[in-house]
Amino acid sequence: MIIENIFAAFGEVLQVKTLLLMMLGVAGGLIAGAIPGFTIAMAVVLTLPFTFAMPPAQGLATMVSVLVGGLSGGLMAGILTGIPGTPSSVATTFDGFPMARKGRPGLALGLGVWSSFLGGIISAILLVTLAPQLARVGLEFQPWDYFMLVMFALTITASLAGKHLIKGLIAGALGLLVRTVGEDEAVGMARFDFGTEALLQGFDFIAVLIGLFAFSQLLNDVRDPALARKSLSEKGAIQARIEHLSALKEIAKRWTIIVRSALIGTFTGILPGAGGSVANILAYDQAKKASKHPEKFGDGIPDGIMAPESSNNATEGGALITMMALGIPGDVTTAVMLGALLIHDVVPSPTFIGEEPVLAYSIFIAFFIANFIMLFLQSGMLRVFVLVTHIRMYMLAAIILGFCGIGVYALNNVDLDLWTLLWFGIIGFLMRHFGFPLAPMILGVVLGNIAELNLARAMAITTDLTPFVTRPWALFFLIIALFSAAFPWFQTARGKKKWTLFYMPFACFAACVPMAMMAWQHNSLPRGVIAVIVLASGAYILWHRWQSGWSLKEHAGPELSEG
Amino acid sequence: MKRLNRDAWLAVFLLVFCGFMFWASFDIREPDYGVLAPSVWPRVILAALSVLCLVYLVQSLRAGPAAPGDEAAEGPDSLIGYLSYWRNPIICFVLFAAYLALLPILGMLLDGIVFVFVLLCALGGWSPRQLALHAGVAVIAVGGMWSLFTFGLNVLLPTGTLIPGI
Repeated sequence: MIIENIFAAFGEVLQVKTLLLMMLGVAGGLIAGAIPGFTIAMAVVLTLPFTFAMPPAQGLATMVSVLVGGLSGGLMAGILTGIPGTPSSVATTFDGFPMARKGRPGLALGLGVWSSFLGGIISAILLVTLAPQLARVGLEFQPWDYFMLVMFALTITASLAGKHLIKGLIAGALGLLVRTVGEDEAVGMARFDFGTEALLQGFDFIAVLIGLFAFSQLLNDVRDPALARKSLSEKGAIQARIEHLSALKEIAKRWTIIVRSALIGTFTGILPGAGGSVANILAYDQAKKASKHPEKFGDGIPDGIMAPESSNNATEGGALITMMALGIPGDVTTAVMLGALLIHDVVPSPTFIGEEPVLAYSIFIAFFIANFIMLFLQSGMLRVFVLVTHIRMYMLAAIILGFCGIGVYALNNVDLDLWTLLWFGIIGFLMRHFGFPLAPMILGVVLGNIAELNLARAMAITTDLTPFVTRPWALFFLIIALFSAAFPWFQTARGKKKWTLFYMPFACFAACVPMAMMAWQHNSLPRGVIAVIVLASGAYILWHRWQSGWSLKEHAGPELSEG
Repeated sequence: MKRLNRDAWLAVFLLVFCGFMFWASFDIREPDYGVLAPSVWPRVILAALSVLCLVYLVQSLRAGPAAPGDEAAEGPDSLIGYLSYWRNPIICFVLFAAYLALLPILGMLLDGIVFVFVLLCALGGWSPRQLALHAGVAVIAVGGMWSLFTFGLNVLLPTGTLIPGI
């Protein structure tokens, strides 16, 4: 049966039109990712209106292709100009640009391209194996568990705002509130319509997404009149040819970096809210710590390019695992893809892979094939990138704003969507100005209905609130939500305050409690083993710190923040 | 002081907003069926939001004035200064609002071309060479997108009363 579904999915993806669209998508994503100020999420969001008229598999394959292209595109600008094209490529510039300046731009590009490809392939393999398994776990979720999962997703996304945790949580709550406008899903009553028929429909969440993200980002990019009139090439673009063979030789000598970074990227992507912008820094940091020559990092060492590029491409596989298995977007781009599925009347949930196997496997296969297309196109797109660097930012912004109007109207043929785009463009712009992160708000808008529906279902079963803390999965999500909310304080105080020495051990002890409850309830040996491992890890960390005399010096780490 | 005022004022604004929305939640009708009333979830969110805004207010009052060199606090001092600093974003918003207002009259194709052309000139300059360049870019870009959606994707885009059919 699985084999039949895989063949059917190949049949969907390997059509000429779909492959052409995927090539266009990868090409567009490569260019979009290469342009600083034009994020991958924006590129995927702007692709959405095009996919509306396509069959679901084709539309999603196109969006996945834009995503894969965008993840790899950031390295072009980062290596050639020193300005990362996307937040996912920040760490790539640490060694990519110095290597280019030393006269090896071709090798730097080759390392980036092949690391991206291999990271994406590893992640695609994990996606195919882990998503169905996670979906089976997701089938255990009851409404209380789902509700707490949404709260965890919002909390961890907000925690990525670092010391601005409160602003992140406020943004998340505002996102949830935005989603309540209009008719409620459960009983169809009007809410916050203020007597107007327009508001009775509610805000289309794609229009909200494009307004919050794309519109406000573009306005930020043209804020400085002098910079807006400059082209990227004025900042020093270098012509280069990709050195594939040299890059492959270097990668063959250091394949463990690729594997480790891809795993870091995939598991970072699984966490809601954490994306390539977090993974590339984490992977770079780990590569530096594991290296025999950490002092060479920053001078143009191959490891410094391989680690971040492998991890950032791998994050999307992880994010897709969460979205497809649980219906919870792993990051903003998968939130957009979730929107695309909803437009096609497909509701991602733990039963999604079982109920729509051909579509699910089509997404897996598209992600896999898109990495090959990216490898094939990167050389050609380098030449296009050099041409694009001559275009001035204000021109790109104006054209894209024009496109936003047409694209958003095409979603529902409703005028309100255009006004939604403008209002949320203003809100997004003000939020950026006042230091409020947008990702929690976007996730709040996307997940608001899911949270309310599950709360309503939970209350319909029983009005007792204790299952929210006594059910193992609900308790697990509550515990990691609390610890992730405290994470920014931990980051700030790490290496300075004694309590930080106990943070990780106590997180492990707390997390093993619901795991042990699951093992007991389901008579599950694997979960019992995991609970014991987590408990033992916490105990080991505590013992290790006791052995080192509760020394604070060893515990500095990388600064993590939302890209 | 500027940063203290800004964050504190923002927190106060958000608290007032929460109060307003909470008042508006009393207009939500309660059905005779269902366990979770439609007003419950918004009120839960507003309660949490209010608590967060209070914490934000307390944090901003305790933080005190911004440190020297704080980029967020540095900025224009006067209204003219603000308008000058935010010139380009303000232009974009105003022109987009005008684009929406003129949509029923001009239709999406013409309105889009005019919007992109005026925006390009406002951001890029009004010299004759730039006018010609911007006109070309606006016609090709918007015309291309309009054609793609209309003929390629069969999406019905709004027409205007000025030139029927376009």
